[in-house]
Amino acid sequence: MSSTTPTAPSVAPKPGTRTIRIRVKRCEGPGKPERWEEFTLQVSAGDGTNVIAALQRIAAKPVTVEGKNTIPVAWDSGCLEEVCGACTMVVNGKVRQSCSALMDTIAPNEGDVVTLEPMSKFPVIRDLVVDRSRVFHNLKRVKAWVPVDGTYDLGAGPKESPETQETRYVLSTCMSCGCCLEACPQFTKQENPETWDSAFLGAHAISQARLFNMHGTGKQLEKERLEALAGPGGVDDCGNAQNCVKVCPKRIPLTESIGAMGRAVTIHAVKKLFTLR
Amino acid sequence: MSSAETTKPQSFFEKNHLLLRRLHSLTGIVPIGVFLIAHLVTNSSILWGKVGMRQAGHDMTMVQGGVTYFQKEVQWINEQVPHLLLIEIILWTALAYHSILGFYYARTGRTNVTSYAYQSNWRYTLQRISGYIGILFIIYHIGTLRWGWTFLVPGGATWSHEFAASTLALALRGGEDFTAAGVAVSLFYLICVSLLVFHFANGLWTAAITWGLTISQSAQKRWGYVCAGLGAGLMLAAWSAVVGFATLSPAQARDFEKKYHEKYGGPAAVEKLGKPATGPSMNPSTSAVRESVPVQGQ
Ligand code: SF4
Ligand code: SF4
Ligand code: FES
Repeated sequence: MSSTTPTAPSVAPKPGTRTIRIRVKRCEGPGKPERWEEFTLQVSAGDGTNVIAALQRIAAKPVTVEGKNTIPVAWDSGCLEEVCGACTMVVNGKVRQSCSALMDTIAPNEGDVVTLEPMSKFPVIRDLVVDRSRVFHNLKRVKAWVPVDGTYDLGAGPKESPETQETRYVLSTCMSCGCCLEACPQFTKQENPETWDSAFLGAHAISQARLFNMHGTGKQLEKERLEALAGPGGVDDCGNAQNCVKVCPKRIPLTESIGAMGRAVTIHAVKKLFTLR
Repeated sequence: MSSAETTKPQSFFEKNHLLLRRLHSLTGIVPIGVFLIAHLVTNSSILWGKVGMRQAGHDMTMVQGGVTYFQKEVQWINEQVPHLLLIEIILWTALAYHSILGFYYARTGRTNVTSYAYQSNWRYTLQRISGYIGILFIIYHIGTLRWGWTFLVPGGATWSHEFAASTLALALRGGEDFTAAGVAVSLFYLICVSLLVFHFANGLWTAAITWGLTISQSAQKRWGYVCAGLGAGLMLAAWSAVVGFATLSPAQARDFEKKYHEKYGGPAAVEKLGKPATGPSMNPSTSAVRESVPVQGQ
């Protein structure tokens, strides 16, 4: 970040600004070939440019470093404050929310390169947009909800102790972003949705099963959740690489959830073994 | 099961998923892990056997103590452990189960250490690599030393439980003295036993999460220290064994073994001593060595 860099761009940079390069993995649609395109961008320290803002500026003038006109890059975003998960992508080789990826942090120096790729475990819809349906499908597999639907008023739910509240709160902050799945070596891309039900659920679903098993009313589905966790693709398919917990933006103790559900499944299986039916 | 709209009939593997998975985890500890501990403790006695012999009232040098104690142990296992065949069958069954399912399970994952170079991710990857290499090593180890695949042993030594240390040293060194191939075999042993010890220690750590014994991160950490400690101890034993046998002079070991048989071996063992080996110490050619060493079953 200096005015004396030999690789001066055609326009003399304002003091305090730097030119960075954004490399984007592009794909025009499902089954279409992938290609890389590179763009340059001028940013200045403290201007708060994040990946989304960078993509917006590129979209306004979609010209590659080679000077070729191109189609604006497609991306997804929502909350822009790291709570919805829509903008999740692989930034500089690691999965994260792009809305909270600030250029000052990820590309602090003149000439730094930022690579943007879509998550690799989900089907690409276009460029950086992927279809995260399987994240939600797997939540359905473990019935990650409280069963309150009915035809009459069920009344007030059971009280929650502050202790369970404390454990549950952080679990409830999961935004189904898919980071834990992208980084997990056991969660592999499934081209055919027919295999979804036997493939690994992923840390988020295991953790959500724990969240709802700890809920006074949610407990009603405990056995069904444990059956799903004991089945193919369940908690035993975890290989304990513990990448999930390291990449989770919400710092959810996923490996603790995996241990807790491992224990619950063990107890459930032993109970089943000794229950005559 | 799951909330799948389509309910396909489940295969045997799907129906018994948990049972098969947990058996895989269990077999790694009992009997395989337990056997590994016993095996390494026994084999490392080549270095600490002197202490064992001193307790039995014999003051021996380190080498003689090691050779003698190891001989005593091996003979005890071969001749006095009850139901040895049953134990072997159980071990083989467990090993086959653990490795075949392990291979299958390992194929369900795809390692990504290049993107996520976390220590735990490395262990995940190494756990799989050590499994693959480990089972090949075990087959080589048992094939060459027990099933007589001597064509895979440089120098062609046959392991004999009456001359346990000396024949093992021959197999590791590739002859009376180190040969290039012998160095390679010894290094191969060193690497593979290290991988297997890692595989066991790390597997013990992950098993505690799988079974739900350790949940909190601090509990996982504490158990991690225990596993690392056990792993370090076993690693030491494994290295002692490989280094101890590889640096052992087969001729010298043979002398000690003969002394052992003359003294404690009983009539059967003395008979098996056969013709006294005269050649090897003066003529270290491998064929002479082979002839001079009585082979099990002769
Ligand atoms: S557990 Fe964390 S990483 Fe996984 S989906 Fe939820 S918020 Fe994202
Ligand atoms: S601990 Fe399990 S769920 Fe988490 S990344 Fe590793 S294999 Fe995946
Ligand atoms: S846009 Fe919602 S998390 Fe980034």
